[in-house]
Amino acid sequence: MPGIAIGGRYAAPQVAGGVLIAACLVLFPLVASSYQLSTLIVSMVFLLPAIGLNLILGYTGMLSLAQMGFFGVGGYTSALIAMHFGTPFWLNFVAACLVPALLAAPLAIPALRLRHTSFVMCTIAFVFIIESVSKNWVGLTRGDMGLSSVPRPRIGLWSDGFIVHTTVQYYYLGLLLCALAVAALVAIVRSPAGRYMIAIREDEILAASVGGRTWHYRLAAFVLSAAFAGAGGSYYVHYVTVISPTVFDPSYTNTVLVVVLGGGVGTIAGPILGSVVFVALSEALRIAPELRMVVYGLVLTTSVFAFPKGLIAPLTSALRGAVQPKARGPHDR
Amino acid sequence: MLQNLFTDGLVIGSVYALVSVGMTVILGVLGQINFAHGEYYMAGAFAAWWAIDRLGLSYMASIPLTILIVGILSLAIGYAVMQRLVDVSFDAGIIATLGVSLLLQNTATLIFGGTYQIFDGGWLEPMRVFGEDIAQQRVLIFLVTLVVFGALEWLVRKSTFGKQMRAVSQNVECCHVLGVDVRRVVLITFILGTTLAALSGVMTAPITINIYGAMGEAITLKSFAVIVMGGMGSIGGTLVAGWVLGIMESLVAAYVGLQFRDAVAFALLVMVLMWRPSGFFSTKARY
Repeated sequence: MPGIAIGGRYAAPQVAGGVLIAACLVLFPLVASSYQLSTLIVSMVFLLPAIGLNLILGYTGMLSLAQMGFFGVGGYTSALIAMHFGTPFWLNFVAACLVPALLAAPLAIPALRLRHTSFVMCTIAFVFIIESVSKNWVGLTRGDMGLSSVPRPRIGLWSDGFIVHTTVQYYYLGLLLCALAVAALVAIVRSPAGRYMIAIREDEILAASVGGRTWHYRLAAFVLSAAFAGAGGSYYVHYVTVISPTVFDPSYTNTVLVVVLGGGVGTIAGPILGSVVFVALSEALRIAPELRMVVYGLVLTTSVFAFPKGLIAPLTSALRGAVQPKARGPHDR
Repeated sequence: MLQNLFTDGLVIGSVYALVSVGMTVILGVLGQINFAHGEYYMAGAFAAWWAIDRLGLSYMASIPLTILIVGILSLAIGYAVMQRLVDVSFDAGIIATLGVSLLLQNTATLIFGGTYQIFDGGWLEPMRVFGEDIAQQRVLIFLVTLVVFGALEWLVRKSTFGKQMRAVSQNVECCHVLGVDVRRVVLITFILGTTLAALSGVMTAPITINIYGAMGEAITLKSFAVIVMGGMGSIGGTLVAGWVLGIMESLVAAYVGLQFRDAVAFALLVMVLMWRPSGFFSTKARY
C-alpha cells in the first residue's frame, strides 16, 4: 500500500514532503490570481466529501455513493441554522457534521446488510430520497427555489466577530478545514479502530473471526464519512451563499468519485492530489467549452488504464525510488 | 382509471426491464456496473431520429438501422474499453464506464445540439385491447419485451453461447483453462446488452417524443434499482422488477404526486432490500 504506514510512524521524507507542500499551499495566495484561488477553493469543497469517501471505500472497502446526499444535508443544515439564528460559523459547521452523521445512522440499518453492488445501489438510492425530500419539504427548504443569501461565515465565539468575504480569506478557511479533516482521517485510520476497518477491507470474514463486530466498525465508517461530507456542505454553502436541490445532481457525485479513485484510493495524499488535478483539468478544459466534457470523459477512461491505482501511485513509487532505493519492506508491491 | 394506470405502468415497466436486462447480463458476465448503459438507450433514440428526420426513412426501416449503428458503436467501445475491464477492479470499472458515459452524452449534445429534438415516428393510433384504448406503439413495446425476454432465457439456458456466458460469470480463470475465449464472450455480451438498450430507446422515443443528450442518465439510475430488485443476474427477475417499478411509478404519480415519481424507484429499492437483501428472484445472495 503506497502512502500509508499502518501503525508505524511516518518516515522522515514523508513528513518533510508534507511540510513542504503545506508551506507551499499556505504561501500560495502571495503569488496566485484570484481565479486560481477560487479553483483551489472548489477543489477543497470536493476534497472534504472525498476524504469521507476515502475513509469508507479506501479503508473499509465499501463504495458509498451517498456522499453528495450528506453533503447537501450538511449544506442545508448549516444554511438554515445561520439564517434563522445568526449563529457563528463554528457552530454551523459542527451542526453540519452532526446532522448528516445522525441521519446516516438509521440509513445504515438497511444499507449495511448489503455488500458490493447492492450496497452501492442502496447508497445511490439515499441521494434520490434526500433530493426528493429537499424538493418537496417546501416549508423548510423552499423546494426547487432553494435557499439564497445564506450569511457568509462569521468567525467569532458567539455574537460578533470577523466575517469572511474575500477569496483569500475563503481560501485560508478552506485550507484550515481541509487540514483538520486530513488530520482527522490520519488519526482515524491509524487508531485501533482504523486498523480494524482495514482488516474488514482486506477480508471481512477473517476480520470477524478474530473477534470484534465488523458491523460496528462498518457503521462507524459510514457515519464518519457522512460527517466529512457534511463538513464539505457547510463550507460550500457559506462560500456560494445559495443552495438548491441541484446540489444532489449525479455529476457532483461523479466528481467526488473521480477525485478519490483517480487520485488514489486508500492513501492520504491520493484524494488531495485528485481534487487539485481533476478540478484544475475541468477548469483548464474551459478553453474549448463544447469539447470540454467529451475530453474529460476520454481522460477519465484512459487514466483508468494508465494509472489503475490512481495518479498518486506512480508518484509515490518514483519518490520512494529517489529517496530510499533499497528500502523495500515485505508489504510493498 | 386504475386499469389505465396498470397498463401504462406495465408498458413503462417493460421499457425499464428491456434496458435493465442488458445491464444485468453485462454485470453478470463482466462483473462491472456499466454506468454508460443509459447512453446506448439515448444513442438508439438519436440514431432512429437521424434516420427518420435526415435520411427520410420510415420508422420501420429505422429500427434495424439503429440496431446496426449502435451495434458498431458498442463494438468499438467494447473493443477499446469493456474487454479490458475483465481484470480491472470494480472501482476502476466504474470510472472507466463513467468516462464513456460523459463521452457519449456530450458527443451527442455536440452533434445534435443541446436542445430537445422532436421524435416523429411510430404507430400512435389507438387500438382496443380488453375494452381499453391503447396506442399501438405501447402494445408493441409490451409484446417485443415478452419476445426478447423469452429469447434471452432460451439463449442463456440452452445455447452454447449461453453456457459460455454462465461459465465466464462464474469463474474467469477456469474459462481460460478450459479454452473459453473470455474476451470474445465479454464483447458479444456487451453488444447484446447495449443493442437491447438501443432497441428500447427506439421503441420508446415515439411515446416520450422529446429526445436529448442527457436522456440516458435517469434510465441508467433506474436500471440500477431494477437489476438489484430483480436479483442480480436473474433475467425473469429483471422483468418482474421492471413491471413492479413501472406500475408503482404510475400509481404514485396519479395518487401521491407527480413530483414523487422519480423517487419511487429508490424508495422501492430500499424497501425490497430490507425485506430480501438479494432481490426478488436470486436463489442465493450473490453479493
